[in-house]
Amino acid sequence: MGNEYILGILTLAGINLMTVLGLSLLTGFTGLFSFGHAGFMAIGGYATALMTVNFHWPFIPALLVGGLAAALVSAALGKVTLNLKGDYFCIATLGFGEAIRLILDNVQTFGGARGWPGIPHYTNFWNVLGINIVAIIVLANLIRSRHGRNMIAVREEELASQIVGIDVFKYKMTSLIISAAYAGIAGGLMGHYMTFLQPKMFSLAKSTELTIIVIFGGLGSISGSVLGALVLTSLPEILRAFSSWRLVFYGLAVIFIMISRPEGLMGGYELTPSSMKKLFRNIASKRSNKLQRAGGDK
Amino acid sequence: MGILELHGLTKTFGGLTAVGDVNFNVEKDSITGLIGPNGAGKTTIFNLITGVYKVTSGKIIFDGKDITNKEPYLIAESGITRTFQNIRLFKKLTVYENVLTACHYNANYSLLDSVLRSPKFRKQEKKLNEQAAELIEIMGLGDRKNLIANNLPYGLQRRLEIARALALMPKLLLLDEPAAGMNPDETEQLMKLISEIRKKFNLTILIIEHHMDLVMGICENIMVLNFGCKLAEGTPTEVQNDKSVIEAYLGVEV
Amino acid sequence: MFFLLNTVYFPKHVKEKKIMTQFFQQLINGLSIGSVYALMAVGYSLVYSIMNFSNFAHGGVIMFGAYFGFFFLTFLRFPFPLAFISAAICSAILALIIERVAYKPLRERRAPFLYFIISAMGASIFMENLVIAIPAIGPTFRTYPEIFNKQPIKIGELAMGKLDVAMFLISAICLIILIYIIDHTKIGKAIQATSYNLKASALMGVNTDFILIAIFLMGGFLAGIAGVLFGMKYTVYPQIGIITNKSFIAAVFGGLGSLPGAVIGSVLLGIIETFTAGYLSSQYRDLIAFVLLITVLVVRPMGLMGKVTEDKA
Repeated sequence: MGNEYILGILTLAGINLMTVLGLSLLTGFTGLFSFGHAGFMAIGGYATALMTVNFHWPFIPALLVGGLAAALVSAALGKVTLNLKGDYFCIATLGFGEAIRLILDNVQTFGGARGWPGIPHYTNFWNVLGINIVAIIVLANLIRSRHGRNMIAVREEELASQIVGIDVFKYKMTSLIISAAYAGIAGGLMGHYMTFLQPKMFSLAKSTELTIIVIFGGLGSISGSVLGALVLTSLPEILRAFSSWRLVFYGLAVIFIMISRPEGLMGGYELTPSSMKKLFRNIASKRSNKLQRAGGDK
Repeated sequence: MGILELHGLTKTFGGLTAVGDVNFNVEKDSITGLIGPNGAGKTTIFNLITGVYKVTSGKIIFDGKDITNKEPYLIAESGITRTFQNIRLFKKLTVYENVLTACHYNANYSLLDSVLRSPKFRKQEKKLNEQAAELIEIMGLGDRKNLIANNLPYGLQRRLEIARALALMPKLLLLDEPAAGMNPDETEQLMKLISEIRKKFNLTILIIEHHMDLVMGICENIMVLNFGCKLAEGTPTEVQNDKSVIEAYLGVEV
Repeated sequence: MFFLLNTVYFPKHVKEKKIMTQFFQQLINGLSIGSVYALMAVGYSLVYSIMNFSNFAHGGVIMFGAYFGFFFLTFLRFPFPLAFISAAICSAILALIIERVAYKPLRERRAPFLYFIISAMGASIFMENLVIAIPAIGPTFRTYPEIFNKQPIKIGELAMGKLDVAMFLISAICLIILIYIIDHTKIGKAIQATSYNLKASALMGVNTDFILIAIFLMGGFLAGIAGVLFGMKYTVYPQIGIITNKSFIAAVFGGLGSLPGAVIGSVLLGIIETFTAGYLSSQYRDLIAFVLLITVLVVRPMGLMGKVTEDKA
């Protein structure tokens, strides 16, 4: 019982992590906030289920279809909303996520609000683990390339990055599409783990929870996102006994994090030797700067 | 026939004319100055040239091509880069990363190449890193290359911004008040730096400045702007002796 | 012949009258729900006009307003007007507490607006689940006692529920008072100034902290009223905050940061919603709000009357 329980939690964490990795690219590295990624999970979830249940496709190709579906929709959304100023893009994603949920609620083909039961139980700890490992490697390789650097530049100083020749719109779009694809695959994994899909699984609360995980782990850190997903998915499960109060404290914790340590767990650093070296160097130089300024100028 | 030509350049914001019908040529390989009182429209002209603002009317010709209202990143690709009045470095990145990011233009490997770590990726990354390291050395930032940009002393931050701009191997470099906040010593060093990079990188340089020693010291040609319109144009001596310029900007003789 | 006339001509005439009646009926329903949306939307616009972020915790305050009203009416047995005002005052105080705890620290360290949104979300999650967790309250739906009897007011063929009329009148009065305060009092002028430029107003001697306290109190007060009205019309449950997302859409539609815009946007949204539910299907009532949102953002993001700002390089 114990082992299975832990594996179950880790599998759920892994499913969350998949979306969080995508969101990390969009929010953590490119600087765009989304409150609608549950919508992409929903699209991916239902599309994947369509392939496995109606067309009897094998799992992995079906997942890829799910990711692709979400990616295509995100491209349409991006084309129309990525030119909006920050706040408004946020609002648009919120509207998008809710619209998807409402459409699924009302369209009876996929079961409407009551949902779609009887989805084959294809997801297990091992394929979630495998997919996540691949996802992390892809993401890390992407970040440590000129493309990743360009996205980070867009996050840091959008105006200056244009001046340096970066096509800001293209990179925002790329980031959005990849994040949506990841979310879509996660949705497929979710559907085939719970063996059913319901629109209310993909609510605004879910989208918000995902963004909060990214911030909690620390923007701009893949390790942060991994840790964040593990901690914030397992903790509520472990605390199930206090079930009604855990969300109360969760809300307070969110406020507390934003007030006291908005840079999150990892603060933008990674759990790699080179990144840790950077962290220590930074602390050292900050200290010497303080001494210099206290001691006099030049 | 200059490398940069402004024809009837005009920009209005609602009822306010920030730049009014400006005509000006910048000679290739020159160091040209753009001066005028605060609010005269100098930075607005930079923003129009680099595509940050859309022009209300008029044309901007660069190297024979019409670049009016093009996307900023395309203008950067065609060979114009700039620095900002209020230093827009990638503050949380290191000196090295700031320059390396800007070098991106000199590689063309795709997303797939990055993910698969293909040979093309490895070769081009190596080249980018070499390029970045070299540029940092030339600009005298070598010993600070792993410092976070935000922690650099002010003068070096400005130098880093110039280094970043040079990573794109531009033909025209726009400097917006590069000497702001510098003491006379630092200003002298900056003047030397500007002359050096003009030679080394085959640049044309257009500078907005208020430090008159710098402007009169290194600029070959100067345009004076007042209330968005061209007030005068000429060599430093000509401009210094121009009555209207003296009245509007340099100070009336008592 | 006469028989033919009866069956062909007369029914058509009667049908037209019925269509007109139904039209006005829907219009009135739309106006009444729209006016409550207006009370809620105004709170969003007030905060956005000065702080430039969307206060997603506002829905929680509205929800608490509904609960406060319910509490004062059923447990403390206050007479209706007293319960009403008390609920509004409690909501105002709640809104202010949220500002002090969740936003002030962020303002002081000049955090980017997105941090405010996350903090607001945290507050919203906190409030929604606090109500569910407290055993005495819990997730059960609560119904307000009937204040206005179900007898409709009849004007000709039109039947208007007393509650709907009351909702509209109360909202209208509150909004008129608010607009009066903004346009004609010293503090209103200060609010206008601060909404144009926070820093400049501070330099001109406006106590911006005080202004912020004022707008959160005002927004919270109106939210409380809206909550009570909403609770009276429908039922009281912890997820009311989500319904109020629609008033946020109304604020965006009218133009974030513009009070008249918020009102107009809300009334229009209320009417559009009611007509959609009446003539198409009630299923689409919620969806139409989000379709409207995306349309507004694509076509004219600053809404009907919102501020247009251009980035200065």
